[in-house]
Amino acid sequence: MTDDHVPPQPDRRRPRSVYEVGTEPDARFSLANERTALAWVRTGLSLVAGGIALTSFATFADLSGVLDVVAAVACLAGASLSIWALVSWARNERALRRDEPLPSPRALPVLVVGVVAFGLGLAAYAVVEALA
Amino acid sequence: MPADPRERDPGLQPERTALAWQRTVLSVTVGSLVLAATAVRLDRPVLAVAAAGVAVAAMLPIVLRIPDGDLPAHGRLRSWGFLSRVVWLVVALGLLGATTAVTSLVVLG
Repeated sequence: MTDDHVPPQPDRRRPRSVYEVGTEPDARFSLANERTALAWVRTGLSLVAGGIALTSFATFADLSGVLDVVAAVACLAGASLSIWALVSWARNERALRRDEPLPSPRALPVLVVGVVAFGLGLAAYAVVEALA
Repeated sequence: MPADPRERDPGLQPERTALAWQRTVLSVTVGSLVLAATAVRLDRPVLAVAAAGVAVAAMLPIVLRIPDGDLPAHGRLRSWGFLSRVVWLVVALGLLGATTAVTSLVVLG
């Protein structure tokens, strides 16, 4: 089974910090890890898209500059979150290759707190605007 | 590793992964085009062209490369190159979005 399919050439895949440890896991686990990383990328992308949408609305509706600041923060947070997707992909793939338990999703509490703060901030802004 | 990586997986993992790629790349494209439209409204052609450039860069591999579910015949996945590429596109889009927001703040007040 293995003799026919393991290529004779050495494993040169990057990043070396992931592929030089442990043994090759079931490809399905690696694919699942890849989809998880892509889901994190899309989460970051949603934050970026939210920021872009806010800026876009601001140009149509002549909204307050506060929203532009919120939009810029959302864009930067989304970019950071998608970089985290790469880091967490590497951590998970290393754990898979070493047959260790997966590391805990450290970005999740940060994301939840951030989104709650974002939502509450916008709600407060809407109330203040409505009263003013 | 399965004996033959081309063997059909009843969990459809390669197909699901290919679909995850498609919706990620599609979202990057749509997001950058919305940003380009916003930059046009703000009369900032450089930002608009840069945002449209992100959309083109996101779509290029779809045009140039046959989608194979990213599962090469020898069973060794190469995730890193494609993953880091899409991440840097999102980072570029985030930075362009933040720049546009700041521009909007300056232009519209």
